[in-house]
Amino acid sequence: MKRHLITTIAVATGSVLLAACGGGSPGAGGDPKGPVTIKVSVWNYATTPEFKALIDGFKAAEPSITVKPVDILAEDYARKLTAMLAGGDTTDVLTMKNVIDYSRYATRNQLMPLTGEAKAVDKTAVPALSTYDLDGKYFALPYRQDFWVLYYNKTLLKKAGVDEKTLTNLTWPQYAELAGKLTSGTGASKVHGTFLQTWRSVVQAVSAAQTGGDQLGGNYGFFKDQYALALGLQRSGAALPFATAFTQKITYKSVFSSGKAATLPMGTWYASTLLADKASGKSTVDWGMAPMPQIAGSSKVTTFGSPTAFAVNKKAKNAAAAKRFVTWASGPEGAKAIAKVGVVPALNDPAVRDIYFGLDGIPNDPIAKKALTPDDVKLEMPISDTSSDVDQILTETHQLIMTGEKDLDAGLAEMSSRVRSEVGR
Amino acid sequence: MTAPRTVRASATWAALALLSAAVLVPFAWMLVSSVKLDDEVFTVPVQWIPKQFHWENYVDIWTTIPMLTYLKNSLLLSVVITVLQVLTGSFAAYGFAKVSFPGRDLLFYSYLATIAVPWQAYMVPQYILMEKAGLVDTHLSLILLQAFGAFGVFLMRQYYLTIPDELLDAARLDGLTEYGIWARIVLPLSRPAMASLALVTFVNTWNDYMGPFIYLTDNDLWTVQIGLRSFVGAYDAQYALMMTGSVLSVLPVVVIFLFGQRYFVQGIATSGMK
Amino acid sequence: MRRFPGPRRTTLAGWTFILPGFLGFAALTLVPVMATFGLAFLDWDSYSTPEWVGLANFERLAANPTFWTALGNTVFYAAGHVPLTLVASLGLAVLLNRRIRGVQYFRTALFFPYITSLVAVAIVWNLLFDPDLGPVNQLLRALGAGDPPGWTSSTTWAMPAIIIASVWRDMGYYMVLYLAGLQTIPPELYEAAEVDGAGAWQRFRHITVPSLRTMTFFILIMLTVSSFKVFDLVQVMTEGGPGRSTLVLSQLIFREGITEGRFGYSSAIAVVLFAVVLVLTMVQFGFSRRDER
Repeated sequence: MKRHLITTIAVATGSVLLAACGGGSPGAGGDPKGPVTIKVSVWNYATTPEFKALIDGFKAAEPSITVKPVDILAEDYARKLTAMLAGGDTTDVLTMKNVIDYSRYATRNQLMPLTGEAKAVDKTAVPALSTYDLDGKYFALPYRQDFWVLYYNKTLLKKAGVDEKTLTNLTWPQYAELAGKLTSGTGASKVHGTFLQTWRSVVQAVSAAQTGGDQLGGNYGFFKDQYALALGLQRSGAALPFATAFTQKITYKSVFSSGKAATLPMGTWYASTLLADKASGKSTVDWGMAPMPQIAGSSKVTTFGSPTAFAVNKKAKNAAAAKRFVTWASGPEGAKAIAKVGVVPALNDPAVRDIYFGLDGIPNDPIAKKALTPDDVKLEMPISDTSSDVDQILTETHQLIMTGEKDLDAGLAEMSSRVRSEVGR
Repeated sequence: MTAPRTVRASATWAALALLSAAVLVPFAWMLVSSVKLDDEVFTVPVQWIPKQFHWENYVDIWTTIPMLTYLKNSLLLSVVITVLQVLTGSFAAYGFAKVSFPGRDLLFYSYLATIAVPWQAYMVPQYILMEKAGLVDTHLSLILLQAFGAFGVFLMRQYYLTIPDELLDAARLDGLTEYGIWARIVLPLSRPAMASLALVTFVNTWNDYMGPFIYLTDNDLWTVQIGLRSFVGAYDAQYALMMTGSVLSVLPVVVIFLFGQRYFVQGIATSGMK
Repeated sequence: MRRFPGPRRTTLAGWTFILPGFLGFAALTLVPVMATFGLAFLDWDSYSTPEWVGLANFERLAANPTFWTALGNTVFYAAGHVPLTLVASLGLAVLLNRRIRGVQYFRTALFFPYITSLVAVAIVWNLLFDPDLGPVNQLLRALGAGDPPGWTSSTTWAMPAIIIASVWRDMGYYMVLYLAGLQTIPPELYEAAEVDGAGAWQRFRHITVPSLRTMTFFILIMLTVSSFKVFDLVQVMTEGGPGRSTLVLSQLIFREGITEGRFGYSSAIAVVLFAVVLVLTMVQFGFSRRDER
């Protein structure tokens, strides 16, 4: 025991020196001959059905390659991945949960280039691909595309005598009015007309997408109308106050699935959760999807969202097999596999869309179809070196405005001045 | 001026009773939530008596997540780390407190200095080191990291300082070696301190989240804390079962506490110290 | 001071006592910590070639208002948490170091907050502190407070709320250490004092406090250090918000290091934190030395 310990310590001490020299060998990836096993980093495997769907589907297509998920807690996914990569981890396929982290790993040279594979992809069918373009190079291929829609509770709408069709072309003032109409009850039986998740994107990303404002620009006057709307909703009681949702960590899932809110602006990923909850009997909500409300005078449906992609680790043990998985998962076969579990694939293809709308439980009325075919999907947050620093400041100030600690004008002024003075020096 | 003894004693008692009840409120909430449905957990105002008791949560938890594996892993880590920490801590502390030799203080200050650096700061260098040694994703990595902590050395040293030197000098006169003094005199005398150190090490290891989170990736190696946290992910929130798991995870620590209490509060033989 | 065995023998014995533990500690903690100090002068993101940048990281830090906010918040937290926890844990230990009915229950109950899962702790305290419906503010209103604090939703009151929760959580832990310390005081001392007619307060001041000096010193250091390193509780209760009102240094280190991968910059913050704690610890050491004389 003791001997073993001393050896370990000696090895460990020696390796520090190695580490300090930045040692480490790149992954050797030969052609997959015979059975190989690749590891794929995923989050919340048990409750995120798309991963199992992809892994099972790939197994059927390529029986010689076994795929082993490396399960990581969703909340901590980015941090864990950063630590793993810093230590020289050899997990083959890395799921890129968001685009800002993708650009960080890619510019740090931690991902294997997939430019050749990306060139083979039909860009018109996969609009999200361009998001991963870093000076003409690609390091990941998108397989899933989320964007925001307005979920609504059909039962509550009927009770308030609201025709679902009015949700087809809502403007923001109409949405606020509707939320007021749908609010009822007091105390434990209180139902809010809408629920605004505490994320800053609920106000800021949608405002940027629809007004064309730049979230990295350092001038945030364009947020004003959207903030006035959100503050108005909580003041009138049509939405749960931000302070309560923030301190009590109340999430959209518990509110909407228990029928405590009649409408909810949220990403398309929530549909697969609702689907699964209904199948398991956890929720009985009868729900629909409408397009996001628009600013007055707009004839198009503009919303925002973010793609999810697979990348290959630069130090992958089985790079060739990993590339085959990534290509398969982001191609038509992978798209069909995830559409079957209620996830919107990055590949925009009529056959895939039919699978999605054919699912039992996915609303397939004209309103939902319009919601799911928006005219324009803007990227949730532009990619740049400064994205995460700006994101931090915008999040902090968002909390101050929404809790009423700063009034709207002062808050927006602080946002602008902090971004200008603290970022990019 | 002073109230009669009995009045004062019962006032103290009442204050303690009130305080301990207040202190237990969050635990009571855990207990109550553990027999609720998921949507009933977060209600404003708090529902202190569940409408219906869902005892099946205590059955479901074992099959919903590999609770038994998690408990076994946590127990293994906590026991091994506690034993090692108490041993290395008290052994080294004797050197620091009772043997004087050149270089001693320098070594001690290096221990002390590292206590002041937050783990978040050297997490990455440490991780790289472990990765190079091939120990990431093994229990051994966590055992090595936590068994040689500075805390134990510091705590035991402070305690040993209160043991009079005369006692040890007498033993030296009797021909005992330094090791003999440590084993036969100091160790038995320091039972309360060892019990406290064991208890706090056990609890800290048991409740540690960041360590297992950074070092353990394989699901079969997960501890109770990561197992439970993985429950409340972005895509699911089974809060009631999470609380059921939390209650179960607290139980072993309560048992250890009740069992260990005897040692650190029963009193030591003070006669030997005069 | 008399030394019975020859100096060479004690030196050998001393090293053999210390080395086994020290080697493990040096390899696994001391080396990474020293690496952190080196990193503070580098620009390094774990993958790029480390580049020597001298004091650039520190200059950037000094110009960053978020750093100063975090430093201020950390000092605020420590200033509340250290004295309150020290007094509470000492008081409880003294009260519970005697034979009263139900002492076992009280000790266990008071230690409970420390072992209850942090997730539950955060949830319950946030419920208790809810500005409108929370029991804390209901009580304050009943006592006549017209406009009770907004607690964790207010930039002014979020940190006091965290301090209250942290004292609640930690006092049982330090009580256990104090209980071990109280065991070293021979009961005869108290008996003698009582015969001399000393009251409870006098016995506490003249026997208990001086006898607990080494333990108090230890607890004071641990409390100071852990206050400056506070992370978990803030993370689960407010995540540093609202705004930056409860952002503490170790969160900033974690964010810059692990989340953003700026290891050089985050190490620089760690070095500053270390320096602050070091100065405070040395002051405490100084006082303890003076007391010993």
